[in-house]
Amino acid sequence: MTTERVVDDNVLLEGLRRGAPEAVESLFDRYHNRIFGLAMSILKNESDAEEAVQDVFLTVVRKANTFKGNSALYSWMYRICVNACLMRLRGKRRSETVSIEEFMPVFTEEGMHASLIDDWSKEVERKALEKELGQVIQRFTEDLSEKYRVVFVLSDVEGLSNEETAHILGLTVPAVKSRLHRARLYLRERLSGYLQEGKTGPQ
Amino acid sequence: MNCKELVYMLEDYIDGTMEEQLRRELSVHIEACEPCLNFLRTYEKTRILCRHIRPDEIPDELRKRLKTFVMEKVRERQRNIEKYLGEEARERLRQVEALLRAYAVNRLPPVVAALFQAHNDRCERCGAFLRSINGGKGPVEITGIPPDVEEHIVEFLDALPPGEATNLT
Repeated sequence: MTTERVVDDNVLLEGLRRGAPEAVESLFDRYHNRIFGLAMSILKNESDAEEAVQDVFLTVVRKANTFKGNSALYSWMYRICVNACLMRLRGKRRSETVSIEEFMPVFTEEGMHASLIDDWSKEVERKALEKELGQVIQRFTEDLSEKYRVVFVLSDVEGLSNEETAHILGLTVPAVKSRLHRARLYLRERLSGYLQEGKTGPQ
Repeated sequence: MNCKELVYMLEDYIDGTMEEQLRRELSVHIEACEPCLNFLRTYEKTRILCRHIRPDEIPDELRKRLKTFVMEKVRERQRNIEKYLGEEARERLRQVEALLRAYAVNRLPPVVAALFQAHNDRCERCGAFLRSINGGKGPVEITGIPPDVEEHIVEFLDALPPGEATNLT
């Protein structure tokens, strides 16, 4: 976040505290894309995400007076968004997710790699392929349980620091790092499988 | 250091938070172990590819619907707040007028009368205004209360012992 954005946010916040509709409009224009993206990545459903986004903006307007400004405005909004989404998930039957354990690396008793590890990093340098693989990864993240997905989205998609992610989710920094690491191990493994399949042709 | 330990410490190795001694051990292992080198390369590549993920774009129609909804709610809330503040202001003025009317006909409860007198003796603005409405010598139409006097009397009312203010109206 640039300083300019922070200053802007402070001006916005002052307007919000007065309840000025123009401030709410600027807030909406500035953040609705990111809030919607975050809500979608947790809820994976457009109508649920729509309701969550409504909640986020109304909560921000209602609570602007009590927001102390200890954290940045966007980080406060992300926190409200994550809470709104998790509340919506709680009542529901868990959407189907794969077990992350199935995709963790396996080792021999001596702690050596038990499976063949190919280096495909050079084969995917082409720009077009990078884009395609971005979409593939996104599909894979949808199979993750929200415990990992939320951390992954905040850190690797939104680009927040581990500290910010920890603050937003109410987790410790080591917990964030560990979940992120597992999510990346999972993605590396699934990506390897995907590229392997591509080489040998669909079975 | 074996491959398993290396994999579980990869995160620290990459983000640079690993202590130097451990880092050297890890580097020695990686140089001698092809699977680990491959693992490290593909792990890093995965992280880079993750940057190509784009969050879901919001469809235009949904954006418009959301914005209309939020703005409508906000305006409604703003109207309610203004309505509430307006009622508050009118209610305050009613209380101030009631106090002044009771004062004008010498009908203030004793405790309130004593406290009110004490304030007016101290406060030039309120004292002057009260003398202008006839100094408690008969019924009088209360109009044109100066804002600062109204504010003082509101403060005075707020500071009264519980129950005393409601006795006035």
